[in-house]
Amino acid sequence: MLVGLAILLVLALLPLARPSTYFLGFMLILFMYAALASSWNILGGFTGYLSFGHAAFFGLGAYTTALLLFYLKWSPFWTMPLGGLVAAVFAALVGYPCLRLRGPYFSLVTLILTLAVSIIILNAPWTKGAFGMFLPFPPVDIFTNHVIFYEVMLALMVLAALVARQIERSKLGMGLAAIRENEDVAQTLGVNVTWLKMEVFLISAFLTGMIGGIYSYYISYLHPSFVFDTLISINIVLMALFGGRLTWLGPLLGASILSVVNEILTLQVEAQLARIVFGLLLIGVIIFLPDGIMAAAAPFIRRLLGQSRRRLRPSSG
Amino acid sequence: MLYELVQSTVSGLLIGAAFAVLSVGFSLTWGVTQVLNIAHAAFALLAAYLGYFASSYFQVDPVLVLVVIVPLFFVLGVGIHQVLIKITAQRAHDLALSSMILTFGLAVVMENVMQVLWTPDPRVLKTSYTGKAIFVGPIAIATTHLISFVLAMLTIALLYVFVHHTLTGKAVRAVWQNPTGAALSGVNMGRVTNITYGIAVATAGIGGVVMSLIYTFDPSTDMVWLVYIFLVVILGGVGSVLGALLAGLIIGLTVGISGVFIPLVWVNLVLFLALILLLLLRPSGLLQR
Amino acid sequence: MKRSWLPQRWYVFLAVGLLLVLASACAPPPAAPAAPAQPEAPAATEAPAQPAAPKAPIKIGCSLPQTGPFAETAAWIQRGYEQWAEEINASGGLLGRPVELIIYDDESSAENAVSLLNRVITADKVDLLCGGYPGTAAAAQMAVAEKHQMVYVSMGGHMASFEQGYTYSFGAPPLMGQWWYDGLFRWLETVPPEERPTKAAVFTMNNPIGASVVDLIPTELENLGIELVVNELYDLPLADAAPLVSKAKAAEADMFFSNGFFADGVQTVQAMKALDYNPKLFAQAVGSIIPAWVEELGPDGDYVFSGTAIHFKLPYEGIDHLNQVAQEKYDSPVAPTYFLFGYAWMQALQRGVEGAGTLDQTAIRDWLKSHEITTVAGTFTFDERGLPPPYNFLTQVIDGQVELIWPPEVRTHEPVYPKPPWGQ
Repeated sequence: MLVGLAILLVLALLPLARPSTYFLGFMLILFMYAALASSWNILGGFTGYLSFGHAAFFGLGAYTTALLLFYLKWSPFWTMPLGGLVAAVFAALVGYPCLRLRGPYFSLVTLILTLAVSIIILNAPWTKGAFGMFLPFPPVDIFTNHVIFYEVMLALMVLAALVARQIERSKLGMGLAAIRENEDVAQTLGVNVTWLKMEVFLISAFLTGMIGGIYSYYISYLHPSFVFDTLISINIVLMALFGGRLTWLGPLLGASILSVVNEILTLQVEAQLARIVFGLLLIGVIIFLPDGIMAAAAPFIRRLLGQSRRRLRPSSG
Repeated sequence: MLYELVQSTVSGLLIGAAFAVLSVGFSLTWGVTQVLNIAHAAFALLAAYLGYFASSYFQVDPVLVLVVIVPLFFVLGVGIHQVLIKITAQRAHDLALSSMILTFGLAVVMENVMQVLWTPDPRVLKTSYTGKAIFVGPIAIATTHLISFVLAMLTIALLYVFVHHTLTGKAVRAVWQNPTGAALSGVNMGRVTNITYGIAVATAGIGGVVMSLIYTFDPSTDMVWLVYIFLVVILGGVGSVLGALLAGLIIGLTVGISGVFIPLVWVNLVLFLALILLLLLRPSGLLQR
Repeated sequence: MKRSWLPQRWYVFLAVGLLLVLASACAPPPAAPAAPAQPEAPAATEAPAQPAAPKAPIKIGCSLPQTGPFAETAAWIQRGYEQWAEEINASGGLLGRPVELIIYDDESSAENAVSLLNRVITADKVDLLCGGYPGTAAAAQMAVAEKHQMVYVSMGGHMASFEQGYTYSFGAPPLMGQWWYDGLFRWLETVPPEERPTKAAVFTMNNPIGASVVDLIPTELENLGIELVVNELYDLPLADAAPLVSKAKAAEADMFFSNGFFADGVQTVQAMKALDYNPKLFAQAVGSIIPAWVEELGPDGDYVFSGTAIHFKLPYEGIDHLNQVAQEKYDSPVAPTYFLFGYAWMQALQRGVEGAGTLDQTAIRDWLKSHEITTVAGTFTFDERGLPPPYNFLTQVIDGQVELIWPPEVRTHEPVYPKPPWGQ
């Protein structure tokens, strides 16, 4: 706990050292992906329902705040919960039927839903359609601008991680683990699986939408091909699975490592070779650490933290 | 209206068969081994390139190159299973998950190796029959589409016969339906999964050549093809050969028919929504038992 | 006992992590970040512009999609940039200093393009920016450049991106969807009304460039007295072109617009041929301006009309030389459009820097907006938006060559109109 707070403090105070805006920009995108992976993991990791469509929630949140900013001049800093709300409402609409599907079927349906939402936004008359939306800049200088988004993304990451941690350790978390291990058995044992799944689906969507809501303000120019990009969904899944999906810490770790590795590759290695190395890295991790970094690192970290983290790797049923 | 409708229907059906043959191997590996092979489309793309080079450098028709591609890709499939999938299957808790990352990594590697080797330039396959057509009344049937259709149907028919009427094929189906039971009754699991991968990747090779008869491609095209594969497999049901065929044809038809009646921008939306609706009504595909 | 040393281990862990991250930022090594109370050394503080050491290179940075779906076009833009840099270094440099290009791969993602432009500006501390690709990335980067107040010369993100009040962005020349068929319509005005097409079918991909290209087509057609019988957008990827072509054929359109990229453009042409649809005039947008159209499609790609802001047959100084370079270095029969674009954008930047005589971004901007410049794309002045007056050439592919048709003073071939039926 103390260690976590110390890390947080360092990260929160980092802008005082006046790093470059690039560094802040890089870190804030890292935080964003860590937050997204954490939010995703609440559903995907804890219940085993792998959504390949979180870009839909991300994009809906982004467009919600962007439209409010564009037409009503409402600041996304205030409206981002509305972005989350819109995403959650959408999740509520599609959640019940989708969550009846098991395994990869659920994954693929969420993927296709994202494509469908993207088409609707692309052709809706009030989103400027294919031209994309140009948003006004925050009225501050570029460094302050980055500091603000850096702190907000950090806060969102902490929020997502805390929510995930809380759920993992609650009775809800145990119910979710039961669903993951064997949904039919869980149901017979009296777990209200439908409601539990729905609950975390909504929470996950809400967080993701909120993150999207702030992202649109940061990027300034919004186009459906950016925020509904299937690659965003894939990145989120990769990061969470890479880090290890069974604990709240895994996705944070996965997002951090993959972001840093990818950035170093982009900067230091020639383009195609960088992609090849990245692909090999994914293959290597699966072969050597098939359940993610966290599962392999859990004993080490537990020793490091010197405290019992019983659920770092839950016993499988 | 009638002309557009018939023309688009014919064209859509022919294209749908190509989607089916591209996807059927993906469906098979998923069904038999719980592995979602994201690199399936990358293998198809590789075959498309081989066919392209054979036709542009040696003036060999890409369809004839299949004589080389099919056995080569069969071996490749067995190799992929032996080198990558098997280890993962032994060690992973959730194979569907781990295999997705694994094969996504493989697809990224393959895409970029292809880009290094063959530049990012887009390619258009040119054969002696490209651009030609047979006319039935006013309705044109493009020769490339027709050949790809025949090839696709032939492949799927052979595959169907294999899976349903040969001993090995029955073993494959047995593993798919009940792995434990199959192992207990003496099915050689290693051999069956090897064969499944060999066949799956070989059909990806055929699918790639078939797709290249219809579409242009570049080293990043596999991600576009992958979406078609997903659509077909969801609609047709995992592991079902006939389901894949039916799904491919339905998707082709939907694209063709809806393109005539509604604005083109909504075609994909109609397709996606129809698919989602169907899934909700029949959660494991069209040919659900 | 345990508790006392464990947190320290964590700080080591943390320090290693932070170091790794900072190393990626290429910042000077920070002071040990172990203690949170002690702020890091001001590693990457944006120092006020220091007087440059003589002969220190001028750094020019940007990102391009070196991998992913846009890699092919971006490769030519990068070659244009590199060619310009090589030449200017051979001739004594810019302001007497050599130039150095820093180009990162954004993997065809606009999000990476934004992040990497931030990087070249604030971590690599480049002196000048080069432009990104495609229009969506350029539009997103225009916003970044504006926030940092740095001159950004690129293709732009079509008309919308130039109407946001961004003052540091220039399209020199732009790749402007709205202007795409300007040459075509001006030429059609000179065609006697009885010889003009009578009905037009327009199919356009639904993305920024498509929407921009189709923007003005209905008005222009109306002015020419051509009836617009079909006007539809389609989503990418295009699964089948037969519905498009059969709709146009059934509507008896004798003028056909296929405003798509290469992949869907080729599909459309092949469907036209297979369905034996023979409009008098066939126009295609961006898909037909990359070398693959002629090289890969062969005779089927002939007689297609398109537009461009720059062309390898223009009688401007430097074009012949670039054709030669493309041939010798890259084995390309002529200089591809995006090769010329890349070169021209760097020339425009060079004019601004040399004219202003400084690397001060505002001075460069103001100089460019108040002077006339000449590049391989021609002579330009820029308005408040950073745009030259609207113009675009009309091109037609004739016998595997992209010929200039309009305006008449640059014409290299008589237009082939009406288009011969397929197979003739």
